Amino acid sequence: MSILTFIICCPLLAALLLAFVPNSFRVVMRGVAVLATLVSALLAVLMFLLFNGAQVGATGYRFEQQIAWVSALGISYHVGVDGINVGLVLMGAIVAFAAACVSWEIKEREKEFYILLLVMAGGILGAFASLDLFFFYFFHELALVPTFIMIGVWGRGERKNYATFQITLYLSIGALLALVGLIALYVQSGANTFDIPALTRHIFTEQHALSPGAQHFIFPLLLFGFGILVSLWPFHTWAPLGYGSAPTATAMLHAGVLKKFGLYGLIRIALPLLPNEAQGWMPVLAWLCLGNLVYCGWVAMRQKDFNWLIGYSSVAHMGFIFLGIASLTLIGITGAVLVMIAHGFLAALMFGLGGYIFQQTGTLRIDELGGLLRRMPFIGMALMMAAFAGCGLPGFANFAGEITVLFGAWTVFPQVTILACWGALIIGAVYALRAVRNILHGPLPDKWAGVADAPHLWRKLPFVILLASLLIFGCFPGLLTEKIKPNAEQIVKMVQAGGRNAPGGALVTQAAAKEDAR
Amino acid sequence: MHPELLPWIVLFLPLGAAVLITLFTQRNRELSAAISIGAVVAGFVLSLIFRAWVGWQPEVRESAVTWLSVGSFQVDFGLRFDPLSLAMLLLVTGVASVIHIYSWGYMKEDRSLPRYFAGLSLFTFSMLGIVLASNFLQLFIFWELVGVSSYVLIGFWFERPAAADAGKKAFITNRLGDFGFLLGILLVWTHLGSLNFTVLQENFTADPQALGTLATVAGLLIFCGAMGKSAQFPLHVWLPDAMEGPTPVSALIHAATMVAAGVYMLCRVSFLINAPALEIIAWIGGITALLSAVIGIQQNDIKRILAYSTLSQLGYMVMAVGLHGPTPAMYHLTTHAFFKALLFLGAGSVILGLHHEQDIWKMGGLRKKMPVTFWTFIVGTLALAGLPPFSGFYSKDSILALAAEHNSGLLIVGVIVAALTPFYMFRLVCVAFLGAPKSDAAGHAHESPQGMLWPLRILATLSIVGGFIGIEQLYASQFHTLPLEPSPSFLQELIAPFVHAPMAAVSGLVAAFVGLAAAWALYAGATEDPLPARLGALSRWMRDRFYFDELYEATVIRLHDLIAAVAAWLDRWIIAGVAVRGTHGTVELVGRALRLLQTGSLQTYAFLFAMGVALVLYLALK
Amino acid sequence: MTVGLEHYLVVSVMLFALGLTGVIVRRSVLVIYMSLELMLNAANLALVAFSRFTNNLDGQVFVFFVITVAAAEVSVGLALIVALYRKRQAAHVEDLRTLKL
Repeated sequence: MSILTFIICCPLLAALLLAFVPNSFRVVMRGVAVLATLVSALLAVLMFLLFNGAQVGATGYRFEQQIAWVSALGISYHVGVDGINVGLVLMGAIVAFAAACVSWEIKEREKEFYILLLVMAGGILGAFASLDLFFFYFFHELALVPTFIMIGVWGRGERKNYATFQITLYLSIGALLALVGLIALYVQSGANTFDIPALTRHIFTEQHALSPGAQHFIFPLLLFGFGILVSLWPFHTWAPLGYGSAPTATAMLHAGVLKKFGLYGLIRIALPLLPNEAQGWMPVLAWLCLGNLVYCGWVAMRQKDFNWLIGYSSVAHMGFIFLGIASLTLIGITGAVLVMIAHGFLAALMFGLGGYIFQQTGTLRIDELGGLLRRMPFIGMALMMAAFAGCGLPGFANFAGEITVLFGAWTVFPQVTILACWGALIIGAVYALRAVRNILHGPLPDKWAGVADAPHLWRKLPFVILLASLLIFGCFPGLLTEKIKPNAEQIVKMVQAGGRNAPGGALVTQAAAKEDAR
Repeated sequence: MHPELLPWIVLFLPLGAAVLITLFTQRNRELSAAISIGAVVAGFVLSLIFRAWVGWQPEVRESAVTWLSVGSFQVDFGLRFDPLSLAMLLLVTGVASVIHIYSWGYMKEDRSLPRYFAGLSLFTFSMLGIVLASNFLQLFIFWELVGVSSYVLIGFWFERPAAADAGKKAFITNRLGDFGFLLGILLVWTHLGSLNFTVLQENFTADPQALGTLATVAGLLIFCGAMGKSAQFPLHVWLPDAMEGPTPVSALIHAATMVAAGVYMLCRVSFLINAPALEIIAWIGGITALLSAVIGIQQNDIKRILAYSTLSQLGYMVMAVGLHGPTPAMYHLTTHAFFKALLFLGAGSVILGLHHEQDIWKMGGLRKKMPVTFWTFIVGTLALAGLPPFSGFYSKDSILALAAEHNSGLLIVGVIVAALTPFYMFRLVCVAFLGAPKSDAAGHAHESPQGMLWPLRILATLSIVGGFIGIEQLYASQFHTLPLEPSPSFLQELIAPFVHAPMAAVSGLVAAFVGLAAAWALYAGATEDPLPARLGALSRWMRDRFYFDELYEATVIRLHDLIAAVAAWLDRWIIAGVAVRGTHGTVELVGRALRLLQTGSLQTYAFLFAMGVALVLYLALK
Repeated sequence: MTVGLEHYLVVSVMLFALGLTGVIVRRSVLVIYMSLELMLNAANLALVAFSRFTNNLDGQVFVFFVITVAAAEVSVGLALIVALYRKRQAAHVEDLRTLKL
């Protein structure tokens, strides 16, 4: 039994268990949820620490487990980690724990909420750990459906019904496009298996690359399908409204973790298995990512509601990851994965803090808040640190990732990188500091004289953990990059080897080759 | 024990202090102060020991740990020891120690004292990081950290809107410079293949044309960072606003150290910057020096006068760098740190004594009431004005000599500023310290406690002897300029400038006396400012800082906000509106249209059956 | 004039068309029912004609089935109509719209 199976099943089993607990045992329900996610998180930390020493399976993954399910179609429950997803699993588990802690604010129908939360957590962890295309998609949907219910029932704002329908339908369309792509990949590869390592071996090692025609229609499906899931510009408008209306824990899990599913899919599946086409599309992706970084940054500057601001900021950070992926260099992809992990912690932290402020003041309109730092020193300082992490202050993991992406993309797309720097350094600072200025600084209005800071350790714990994660990975990014590098290198090699004959891809390959020769 | 371990300890002591204070001693004011002061004083002592151990040899040594290594992107976390960094190490720890001690006296009554000391320690850590950094990216990292420490400390009294706004403005203006800086670093990395200063210098010496046509651009982009941090025109607008912070913060960060970081960085990488870029840099320095001096003449807030003075002196330093003279620039940086910190701390003493009054026209007669403050302030003023034998004379003269050699236009600028500097400083002295008290608070002023006076005395001493303790020779050894032979006797050293570069020295001295005399004539015994009457609109322009802030607000900020508004509109109405709601609406319309078929009427259904059958028959029989 | 298969078939089609038109156009439920019967009988006619002209008895056997089923269907249908009339006091098909979405 792999440790990963425990990590995934712990929340799912806890959800099942909770179904039998009577409604009135509220403390028990909270306890079970927090405990289950805590166990998951601790196991994930253990796995992360043991990663370097773990045995590498034949497929190149560690902590593997495979249970055949529908052999006729080649579907099996196959989980495993390599450098790229070990950090993601860790991040997902920690954020899930923080989300469970933060849910003390839910006061009605807790049982259903915690069950949905646990199902979502299990789904996310399963999606990241999964090495089988079918289960990859299945776990994602398992995590997505609860958001519909959570936003619809426990959401806030007058537009929550519209928000929940929009987010679910929009993301389902994206997932549908990706599904069509995945099934087409399965069919066209001719390998009769959904297993990712097996597919990789078939296409790459055994040289059965998909025909250019097949790649030509599959890759855009995957790119835009996964892209919609990750709020790639211009398919991003579901994010601010969705997150603005969602309860805190849902926003934390969704923005922090679930969004990374699409990016992980791109790196793991789309790039290496469809290299020719990938190379042709990367310039498009690079320019689109500016839509995220710069354009959404501008829109974030205009937001009057803090949740919307964080929502747009979250969309903006995705631009970095896309840029890193688009560069198709070792540095770029490593940076992209690093930003994925860092942003997971950051988004969770910001939404968590926003949720706390909303809980205390009943509003998140920036022009109504003010001077809160005096009354809430801990939350205020955490918010300030989060704001600085978001605008790329060194010492936090986001800086390490962003700077790596910038250095990686500079050799391939200099103009885009220049604009990306503007977006990161200037636009990011402007809206983050404006938010801090208007929420935390300035004189304290009388109506907020009664708000309270996080009173005891349990309330502070999720924020402390998230901040600590950001600081640890910010001061010691080597912990992550040393793991990510070998696998990122493999993927880059697969793309370059497959793409040598691609027309538009030659530019990218050349730059990457010159990059690596240094 | 390895001697190189000492600087690592010096670097991390203040960080440890900041973390300790933030996490554990927020309730205990004395303990927080003790931890912070202890860390930096220990740092100074250890730096002295380190210097004694390794001497001042110009050889470079490094001690590094890999921080981030991905392919050709290698970033180490390392410390670099050469005369430049050793000198700055002592300067930073020394001046910081003095100011930490002063802060205890100044901020004693403040309710958030622990937060203040935590911020101060964080700043010290970041500044030491800049000074000791061994590669470009590490420099950039600490550059940013210094920026955030400055933000936290400027906005220390965050409940005041002015302070909160000033902090934000400082950070964002600095970021504008950092944008150019990062692009410069990226350019250098791609063309020279490394980020480490030693390796860069080797690669550059091996292939001076490596940057090709982008050499000037790269140089100017790197200078952008210095423009932001050292508040050069046109990014100078944040420094005067930064005076909203507590006075010791202004002394440490905005006079002695952080703003000097830009000059330090330029000297560090001066080998990379080519002649055309240096020329532009020199002129920007000159313009900054002149502009700020002119604005300073009509400021009435004691701290703002000193802020514009700092801007002006920074302009001098940048000008020196641009004139191919990193040695004079660093020399002036060091002496300026002494006397400007002294002046700010003196101003703080005055402000505290008058219960936070900062308008010089409400002061007066402080010579009698606050003697120590007065005399140390005079020392600082004379040093700043550039009168021998004070240190400022020697450092300023070396810059003027450089200008005389390379660019007579800038020499004229330099001399004019040399006249304006004593003018506004003696205006301040005459109005604030001499004459009769101009308000009640001035009448009841009393001297500050000894804890605040000893730092003043120490800095005053340094301002006096700074010209004679071999600072210039030290920097000269770093930059391989012709070693200045130490003069055989003290008297010869005293008059050395007149011997080496008589025209510059004499014109500088004459300008200083002219400025002093003019100030005395206009302001001795004055109860209100005579200049507005004489200069009319020009005086108003000077007082309102030539409307740069308003200009930026109206153009850059408005433009950016406008673009953001367009983007937001586009997002709300086109993407979300037309595309998403449009799709939603279309699907709903189609649904409604199809719904019309469901009439519930039997006969309609029967009709449709028949039609369907007919169609199928037709297609089947075709 | 020799009466061939085609004449019978044309009559059958005409009857069927008349019946179909009746179903679609008429308002009274009973008349719709009668038109339905007309359609069924048109089909019967066609079947018998085919049987006669191909000398195969299968068509006529099939007609017996149709008549039987039609009889059963008529009884059930008329019972439904009577029940409906008793409930609604109306025998017009436009009033029966509860299938509408």
